[in-house]
Amino acid sequence: MKRRDFIKKTGLAAAGAFIVPYILPSGRLFAGTGAAPKANHVVLVMFAGGVRYQESIGQQYLKASQMPYAQTLAKPELNVTGNIMNNMLVGAAPASKILYGKGAGGQTPFTPLLSQSLQQQGMLFTEMKSSSPGHYGGLNALLQGNTLYSQGLKQRPINPTIFEYLRRHGGPTDFPASKVWFVGNGIGNSLPLLNSSEHPGYGIKYGANFFAPTITFGPKGDQYLKDAKVYHPLDQLAPMYEMKYFLDNSFENIGRSFPSLGNTDDEKNQIKLFMKSMFTKTAAGTIAFPPAHADAGNGDTATVGYACEVMKEFKPKLTVVNLSAVDTCHSGFTGYLRALHRADHAVGHLWDFIQKDSVMAGNTTIIAVPECGRDLTPNLIKDSENNFYGYDHSDTNTLDVFCLMAGPNMPLNATVNSANNPAFSGQWKTADIVPTIADILGLKSEVMGAGMLASGAGSLFDKN
Amino acid sequence: MNKQYILRTIICLTFVITTTLSGCRKEKDRSYDVNQVELLPPTAGKTKLKTNEQYVAILYANLFQKALSANQIFDINQCMQSIGDQEIAREVVVSNMMNKPGTIIPTKAQMAGNLNKFILDTYNRFLIRNPTEAEKTYFNNYITSHITPTDTILPELVYVSFALSNEYMFY
Repeated sequence: MKRRDFIKKTGLAAAGAFIVPYILPSGRLFAGTGAAPKANHVVLVMFAGGVRYQESIGQQYLKASQMPYAQTLAKPELNVTGNIMNNMLVGAAPASKILYGKGAGGQTPFTPLLSQSLQQQGMLFTEMKSSSPGHYGGLNALLQGNTLYSQGLKQRPINPTIFEYLRRHGGPTDFPASKVWFVGNGIGNSLPLLNSSEHPGYGIKYGANFFAPTITFGPKGDQYLKDAKVYHPLDQLAPMYEMKYFLDNSFENIGRSFPSLGNTDDEKNQIKLFMKSMFTKTAAGTIAFPPAHADAGNGDTATVGYACEVMKEFKPKLTVVNLSAVDTCHSGFTGYLRALHRADHAVGHLWDFIQKDSVMAGNTTIIAVPECGRDLTPNLIKDSENNFYGYDHSDTNTLDVFCLMAGPNMPLNATVNSANNPAFSGQWKTADIVPTIADILGLKSEVMGAGMLASGAGSLFDKN
Repeated sequence: MNKQYILRTIICLTFVITTTLSGCRKEKDRSYDVNQVELLPPTAGKTKLKTNEQYVAILYANLFQKALSANQIFDINQCMQSIGDQEIAREVVVSNMMNKPGTIIPTKAQMAGNLNKFILDTYNRFLIRNPTEAEKTYFNNYITSHITPTDTILPELVYVSFALSNEYMFY
């Protein structure tokens, strides 16, 4: 062999030996760090539109919220504490003045759906610090793992969301578009913008599929989406796409392409068929709504019903569900208590539904965390039902929230707090949720290594 | 010899002087008051992305030859926002419109009867331009090879493909 040939072949062999191990059958360029997933599925519930610490974890009910501000005559009957989140938390219900259930005046609380509360089935972080006093900032922190002062309203997240981290670093085989879902309770407050960031290295091509079911499958969807034809995938869709792609190629030739979420044609077809089935099920009343939805439900119970349908169909690796009905607290404290009780009922149903699913049962972690809390003192708006004062969200009390987590590979009935430190020291924060999800799904080092999380943000498994 | 040599030298010199002088002559300005035009593809002017409202308003006008009301445009935009994959949202909105009575679409017979006209009209209707020769040839060949006796919705599929094309999203 000539020397030149020898050097050429040796060089090629060396290059091949270097590159080949990194091209994986899964389509990933780089091998993962080898971290074993703690679960195959994660459900994140963004709970539920500004939940005040005192009525949730604090279980102070009316005592801390209304009694100090009520007329003297009404004070004694407002001296009531108790737990109104009986699926999520351990604690006895209020003994009197029950206003949050169903029936006339909300006198009948919902029966718990879980034999053991989520707190008993997992870990409760009682001193979580929210990164923002506002809804959109709080949701952004939950999904970006960061809180950026330059993040604007009506603007997609500046840094990548957990959806994009998973799809980009997890690869298209393990994390195709149809395995990453965001189910919103509406389209207000820029919610549809949260399924992907505007980060140039990530973006919509790694974003999550999104539905706002109360719109998509509600009266407007009935009118403008329900009657969509489902074209035959081979006889009709294939030639249609072929002509479309020809037109797109002609247009791309001059340098403009259109951003796409990256569902394959099969995934698109599956989603369209799913939509068709949702309209049919909605009309037939067979959506997997929580039990109380029919006679005492609200937007959140409806959203969770459709989220269950999404999970049933797609078995997502990550499902993010946004609930927000408790935001009525600005001007209706009684409605807030009812919404909080319903949000708890909805989460209980969600977990119960997962445990009955053959693929997701025993292999799914649920995380419930408010995007923000509420003020310590009320505003001046009284509701019409009970003359209760409303609460906004702008003071430091707003930043005090909690995080509840249940699923495999975690301690049971564990409460994590700073017993030996000042409370709410900032050790646990909502920006920790992104690395925690990544940790559960085996991508922690990739996500943390991207270098775009908040300073000090890390997996809650490393902080307990 | 001398005479011939002198004559040849004179001829050579004359040739050299003549070509040098004429080569250095300033070129005449032959402009005819026509501006220089840079040739671009026919889609080059489409640089602005349509909003959802613009998209559905134009789509409805293209398919039904009449206008949507402002309320309908608002509602359809909300429906589109409620779906994360905008390609799916557009597909569903388009095929929903296709299922409504009143769409103005040529029949298969009309299409097959004058294919060139169908292609030209479709480009004009949706993309507001004439097709290039390459595009004409492609659609001519593609449609011809896909017309079957049983297939009745080919014109509709052509319309859907145009309505979903990236170029249709720009103006």
